[in-house]
Order: sequence, then structure tokens, then C-alpha cells
Amino acid sequence: MKKSYLFLSWLMVFLIIAPAWSQSPKEIVRKANDLLRGESSVSEGTLTVVKPTWTRQISTKMWMLEPDYALILVTAPAKEKGTVTLKRKNELWNWIPAVRRVIKIPPSMMLQPWMGSDFSNDDLVRQSSIVDDYEHKLTGEEEIGGYSCYKIELTPKPEAGVVWGKIIMWVSKQGYFELKTDFYDEDGTLIKTLIGSEIKTMGGRTLPTHWEMIAVNKPGHKTVLDYRSIKFNVPLEPSFFSLQNMKRVR
Amino acid sequence: MYLTLSWRNLWRNKKRTLIAAASVFLAVLVAVVMRSMQIGSYAYMISSSVKFYTGYMQVQGNGYWENRSLNNSITLSEKQRAEIAQIPHVTSVVPRLEAFSLVSFGRVTKVAQVTGVDPATENNMTELKKRLVQGRYLTESPGGVLIAQGLADLLHVSVGDSVVLYGQGYHGVIAAAMLPVAGIVKFPIARMNNTMVFLTLTNAQDIYSTDGRITSLAVMLDDVRNQTDVFNALRSLVCDRYTLMTWEEMMPDLVQGIALDNASGLIMLIILYLVIAFGVFGTVMMMTTERAKEFGVLISVGMKRKRLIWVTTLETIFLAFLGAVSGAVVSLAVITYFHYHPIPITGSAASMFELLGVRPIFYFSTDPGLLINQALVVLLITLATALYPLFFIKRLQPVQAMHG
Amino acid sequence: MILSLAWKNIWRNKKRSLIIIVATALGLWGSLLSGAIWMGWGESMVDTAISRDLAHIQIHKPGYAQNKEIINYIPDGFQILKETQNLPGIAAVSGRTLVEGMAASPTSTFGVKIVGIVPAQAKTVTDIYKRLIEGEYFPDGGGRNPVVIGRKLADRLGLKLHSKIVLSFQDLDGSLNYAAGKIVGIYKTESSLFDQSNVFMRQADLFRLLNTKPLIHEIAIRAESARIMPQVYAAVKANYPQLAVHSWKELAPEVAYTSAAMEAFTYIFIGIILFALLFGITNTMLMAVIERFRELGVLIAVGMKKGRVFTMILLETILLSITGGVAGIVIGAISIVYLAHAGIDLTALASGMETFGASTVLRPFLPLDMYIALPIMIVITASLSAVLPAWKVIHIQPSEAIRTY
Repeated sequence: MKKSYLFLSWLMVFLIIAPAWSQSPKEIVRKANDLLRGESSVSEGTLTVVKPTWTRQISTKMWMLEPDYALILVTAPAKEKGTVTLKRKNELWNWIPAVRRVIKIPPSMMLQPWMGSDFSNDDLVRQSSIVDDYEHKLTGEEEIGGYSCYKIELTPKPEAGVVWGKIIMWVSKQGYFELKTDFYDEDGTLIKTLIGSEIKTMGGRTLPTHWEMIAVNKPGHKTVLDYRSIKFNVPLEPSFFSLQNMKRVR
Repeated sequence: MYLTLSWRNLWRNKKRTLIAAASVFLAVLVAVVMRSMQIGSYAYMISSSVKFYTGYMQVQGNGYWENRSLNNSITLSEKQRAEIAQIPHVTSVVPRLEAFSLVSFGRVTKVAQVTGVDPATENNMTELKKRLVQGRYLTESPGGVLIAQGLADLLHVSVGDSVVLYGQGYHGVIAAAMLPVAGIVKFPIARMNNTMVFLTLTNAQDIYSTDGRITSLAVMLDDVRNQTDVFNALRSLVCDRYTLMTWEEMMPDLVQGIALDNASGLIMLIILYLVIAFGVFGTVMMMTTERAKEFGVLISVGMKRKRLIWVTTLETIFLAFLGAVSGAVVSLAVITYFHYHPIPITGSAASMFELLGVRPIFYFSTDPGLLINQALVVLLITLATALYPLFFIKRLQPVQAMHG
Repeated sequence: MILSLAWKNIWRNKKRSLIIIVATALGLWGSLLSGAIWMGWGESMVDTAISRDLAHIQIHKPGYAQNKEIINYIPDGFQILKETQNLPGIAAVSGRTLVEGMAASPTSTFGVKIVGIVPAQAKTVTDIYKRLIEGEYFPDGGGRNPVVIGRKLADRLGLKLHSKIVLSFQDLDGSLNYAAGKIVGIYKTESSLFDQSNVFMRQADLFRLLNTKPLIHEIAIRAESARIMPQVYAAVKANYPQLAVHSWKELAPEVAYTSAAMEAFTYIFIGIILFALLFGITNTMLMAVIERFRELGVLIAVGMKKGRVFTMILLETILLSITGGVAGIVIGAISIVYLAHAGIDLTALASGMETFGASTVLRPFLPLDMYIALPIMIVITASLSAVLPAWKVIHIQPSEAIRTY
């Protein structure tokens, strides 16, 4: 009796918030977003920075505890091996083995590119949420890379501190892979595109493991992230993300 | 014939001639001194501003000015640098490697403009050594950094302590180094005093993995008036491989200041010309009226007015040249003297100059162009006044003139 | 007796006297006017800087200049703001909340200073509201988080009027805030550095975004006039020994330097004009004396003492110059007052320069003491220029003079 009452009330809630039994576009975005994150994760990957005249590769190992903590260890190239970036809430710290010093990144350096990539320090701490800061609207269905996808248009909420005019996201119906995301400014000009591909099974999940961020107005510039391994929901405590631990992690 | 006649006329009354010539002479002197001081003070304002840091022009990587990244740095071979240094009027070329980096000491970390410099040439241009308030100047070995005083205070660092530099090198490579503070330098401009860190160029190139690259080559000139020549020579040397920036582009505020200043300076020059014109006109007028009787006699004994006009006009031309040439010669001497012995500024104005580390002086330009220009303007004014005797003689009533 | 003789002599040869009078008047008019132009330009440059941002005096918490963190606000800032408002000699005050942060658009991000103001109050101290080239200065009902930014920043961010701008800054706990604002106005001043780094917001919006009680980091004070600024400065400094009080001269030494240089140049220039005048008058008088050799020779021959002739010529010259001088000062004052009212447009002369705001229109200005100092200098100049012609007279040999001339 009690059970069925509970079931009924759940049903009521669903009937109210979701007019149809189909998922809301917000739910689709949330699922795509959650696929890449867990409560916590440990991953290994390579970041490749491609510029018109040069490229640069950095191998990293990354520990994350959502939403506030992250620790990134550089494992290659040799010159920078052992360098650690620690994110704690809005603060960024660096451990530089060459001079054996921990340095806090002051706000004025937040715009500097992280490790020479197209990401800035600010991008690492900026916490705009693709789920909470936007209104979501399903605008159609299209095929991307052989997957049938939901095409969802994200419009920022007026008070949200995000720069985009709108975002269009293609999420596969099967597996909720975020295969393509276009970022537009307020005039509707495409600024950059994020493409996910090479779908593999890692750490018990099937997900895109090759990510490319392409700057549309800067030909020849892109940043590529390849995951070699990823593990989800590993036991990590906030105390792991300490200044002391920066010097010890391997 | 006319020539000899008017020449003789001039020396017939030496006193009068000398007085009239003196007024032209003084007009040239005053105009030249005034303009020399105006142009000189702009040149001085420019030179003391560019000497601070930027130089008259800089050779930079394309795109460096808008995007100050080491990735926009350039390689200039010894040979190229020597070629630039040999362009006429270039007094020195100063290579630099600039990088925004963190400077850290103890628990404090600040953003700094870290600049790798060649200690000797840098000192020649910016007199960095004079800014030392503590410690010693940069040397290749032992190495170390010079820290601006304001920044040193913020970091609580003193000479002998070691600071950590941390930033991004060429192509995003991490740049980190621990270096002893060799000296503390003081800048009068707060913006510089709170951000500047200097180290040797070789040291900086090593830390930022730039392998002999520089971000800019500052070029110093003997005088701002040669800037266009040098710029063109430099342009043909580097073609469009590199960007050339002039101080006008690097310090637009200064340009606007000087442009407006020059505009009001020109207004004053016009006023001065008016005063001069009236002075010369007065003398010529007086001279002509004084000779009314003489003219009257000459006309009545049968001299044609046309001839008389020719003779007096030639006289004025002689006078004008006499005054202008002697004026130019003497004013050259005067401005040359003041060029080497500038007039000191005193009082509260002086303290403002000193606050900026600029010598409080009035500086005089010795540009030969200005000398010729001013002498020519005065000459033209004087020749214009020659019209007065012309009309005077035309309208002269001989009988009346002889009696009056 | 000699005085009236000299005066009569002057009007005996009207043409000659008029030339000297006009030359003197013209010279003096010129030096007054150009001095005033020079001074006016120096003043306008200072004014531009003062009314753009600096104001006359600024109050901060000690150490703010070195460490511009949000926690370095003025303790009891609003109390002090209210007190300074009522101090004698102070025309207006404006409290500013300053936050170092970043402004972002889809294409770029730049470090900026976010200035939180009360628009009505800020208008009384600075004139950014007059420098708008697009939009309005915090119009009523400007929507959520209205923001006024500089042309240069708008260009660098690729933003337009009514665009969204995202500002990020640390609050008092050090955590980062992101806020979307709407550009309601774009301003342009002479300084592109200022335009690219100053973003204005309403204080109320900023406090809400920072989630903090009201606080200010800077009190900008405008004195009733530049002249009483030093006294006001001393008074404020004495009133608040616990705070850092700075005058604009300390805040912007480079502006003070240029204006000081110009003022010094004004005096030198007036010196040059007076010098030109000295020789002009001397020359013309010498010419006049030569012309009058015969007449003066007769005077001496009939028994007038050489000393008296000397004094007479001296007086004639001085009277002439003073007449001219007074005329020059009157015309000068009139034209300065007129031009100060009408303004001189320098845009045509300052070619190749970007046309910008108020400061290409020059308003001549001359401090009152110059009007007093100049007549004194004129008398000195006139007396000096009279010496040589008068000296010539003493050496007249009457017999020779009557015969030769």
C-alpha cells in the first residue's frame, strides 16, 4: 500500500513536470553532461595544441572530485614532467618541481593560456553549467557521424554569466554522446565548435574519447584532448586535493 | 645702375640703415629663438619619453603589439642587428625579451613584466643603472634580477633574497627559475614601479626557452627629425617580415598632446609674426616719412617716380637681406649656445620635471630647416613692407613734401 | 612741466606716435593672448584628465595603490563621503567601488577595472556622461545590470551597444562571480588606455552581485576651483591622517609635468615678446630721435639743459609705451574673455589627429596676477627701451645738429 502510494506520487510529479513521457531536452543535456563526469574520476590523456606554425603535446593524469576539486599532473614532455595544477573551488595553484615552489595563480593571470593551450586558467575554474544556466529547446533530429542525434538549442538565462548568444548541441539518441557543439555569439556568428568522436568503452562507460575544440575565426588553431583511460567514482576525499599532496602525486 | 645707386643710398645714412636692418635682424632672431625653443621642447619631451622605455621605434614580430605572446617573438641575427645599427642617425639598438610572468617570494605572488635586457646597451638608452636605489647593476655572471622598488615592497623582498619567476616560455613551455635579487630600481611612474623586473637577455632567453629570440628591438635616434629617414631605411631592411612600431603608435596619448601643443604653438608663432611685421613696418614707415623731403627734391629735379620706386624697393630688399642674413647667423650662434647650455627651469615646475626623472630644462633645437624657414618668413614680411614706400612715392606731392 | 611737454610732443607728430602705440599695443595684445592660449591649453589638458577620472583629490585606504584588492575598501567609507561633502571649498564628491576583474565576450577576454558609481553623484565629479558616443549614461529602466564601457574595449571585445558583456570578479571571500551586463552606453575619451580598461556599473548592481554590504574604495573630490585645491587638499589630509589622501598631481605626475612645462613656457614666451617689443620701441624711438635731431639741437642751443631733454625723451617713450600698453591690455583682456567664451577650434590645425571631445576646443585663460604683472613689466620694458634714444640726445652737438639736419 505504502509502496504504491509512493509510486503514484512520483507519477504525479512526472506528469506535472514532463508533459509527455518523452524526455525533456534539459534531461538529454544533463545525461550527456553526466556521461563525462562522475562524482569523482581519475583519467589519463594527452592534450595536443595545434597552431598554424607549431604543435605541442602534453600528457596528463587528472584527478577530479565534482564540482570543486581537480588536480592535473603533467607526465610528459620531460622538461615539464611533474608540474601539477591544483584547482580548489575558484583557486588555482601550481607546483613547479624545477624551483620546488607552490605558486597561487593570482586573478590577473587567469586569462593566460593554460600550458600554452587554447584553454585559459580561467576556463579551468569557470563554472558555468550547461544544464543550469541555459533554457533548452529540442529543435530537430539530425545524423552526426553515423549516429542519430537530438539537435538541441541552448539559450542562456538572462542573468547567467555566460558569453554565448546560443549553443547548438547534437546529442546521440543512443548513449547520449555529445558529438558536436556549436557556440554562437549574440549576432548568431559561429565562434567555435567542439567535436567528440572515437567512441570507446572506458571505465565501464561508453563515451567519445577524442575531443577537438576548433576556433572558427582562427584557422589552423585547435586543441585536441585524447583520453587514454578514465575511471569513474573512485574514492577521493577533498583532503587529497591539498598543497602538500601536489608535491607527492605520481 | 639701380643697384649701385640704392647701395650708395643705404650707406649715405648709416645710422638709419643700421636701425632698420637691426629691426629685421631682431625679428629673425626672435622668430628663430622662439621656434627653436618650441621644436626643441617637443623634441625634448619626445626624447625624454621614448628614453623611458619604448625608443623612437621598435622592430617587433608581426602581431606582437596586440598579442604580447612570446610566440610572436623574432630572431635577429648579429648581422641584421649590425645593419640596423649602421643606418645613419641610429645611435643605438636595444634588444629585449619581454614576458608577463609571476614573481613569487615567500607567500606573495605578483604579476610582473619580466624583461631580458643587454645590460650595457640598455643602460646606454634608459640609464637603468641610475635608477638603482639598492644593490648592484645587472651582470652576466653572477646573474640575478633587478626588481622595481614598488614590486619589491609588495613582495617584501630585499637584495640577496631569491625570487621565483614563473610563466610561459616560447610555444607554451613552462618557464620557471629561482634567481637572486641583485638590485632594486626605482621608477617615477607607478605603473612601471609596481611591475618591472629586469634580467640579462641571455638569462631570459634560457628561462623562456626562446633560443636567441627577442620580442623587440628598440631603436634610438640622434634626433626625432630624422625619424622618417630611419624608418624608411629600416622598412627596406626588414621588409614585411617584421612589424615596425614608432613611438607615435606606441604612445598615442603623447602624440595627441604634442599635436595639440604644436597647434597652439603655431597660433603663437602667427601672433609673433604679427608683432614682428608691425615692428618692421613701423621702422620702414618712419624711414620713408623721414625721407619725404629728399624724395620731393628728387622728383622735382626730374627723377622719374618709377626709377625712384625701383631704387627705394631695392634699398628695402638690401636692408631685408642684410638683416635676415645677419639675423640668421647670430641666431644660429644663439641657439647653438642654448642647445649646449639649456636654460634651467626653476620653481614648482622644476619639481614636476624631477618627479618624472626629466632634467628641468628648456631645450633648443638646432635644426637648420627651422633657421632657414624663419629667416625666409621674416624676409617675406619685410619685402611686403616694401610696398609702403612704393605707394608713398606714387602719391607724393613734391612741393608739399619739400616744405613740410 | 616736462611731463606735459612730453605729452604735447607725442601728439605733435601723430603718425610716428601712433606707430609706436600700435606696435606696443599689438605686441602686448599678442603676448597676452598667446600666453592665455598656452595657459588655457595646459589648463584644458589638466581639466581633461581631472574630469575624466582623477578629480582634484582622491582618498583611499593606505596601501590600496599597491594592492588593489576588494578587501582594501575605505573603513567607514560612506561616513567619510558624507563628511567630506560638507567640508569648505569642496564642490562635489563621488564614492567609487573598484573591482579588478575581467570582461568577456564570445571572442575575447580582457582585464578591466569595474567602477561602481552612483550615476547622479559621479556626474558632479567627472564628465564621462558627456563623452558618450553611443547610447545613454545609465538611463532609467536600463534593464538588468546596465554597463557603460569605452569604445576601445568594445572594439577589442567585438561588442556593440545593447550587447551582453560578461564580467567576472572576485568577491570578498575570494570566490569568483560571473555576471551578465548589458551595454547601455559607449564612451570615448582622449586616452585609449582609459577607454580600454574602465567599465562603469551602478553601485547598487555591483553590491548585489558581490553579495556584500555597501563599500567604497575611492572617494573622488572636486574642489570649488583649482586655485583653492592646495588648501582643500591640506585640510582633507589633516582630517583623515589614517587614510591615503592624494592630489591629482601625485596621481598623474606625467600630466602635472606637461602642464608645468607649459606654464614655464608661457612665461618664457611672454619674455620673448617683451624682448621683441623692447627692441621694436627702441628702434622706432631712435629713428624718431634722429629725425628730430635738428629740433632737439635747437632746443639745446636756446638753453634747455641736456638733463631736461634727456628726461623729456625718456618720458615721451614711457608715455607712448604705457599708452600702447594700456590699449594692448584692454584689447587683450577683451579678446581673451571673448575667446574664452567662444572657444578656439584647433581641429583644423591639429591635423592627422583623431578628432576627439572637448579638448580640441581651446579656451584661453590668464591668471589675474598676470594682468598685474604685465603692466609692470611693460613699464620696465618701456623705460629700458627709452634709455638708448635718450642717451643719444645727450650727445647732440647743437651747432652740428642744426647744420646737418
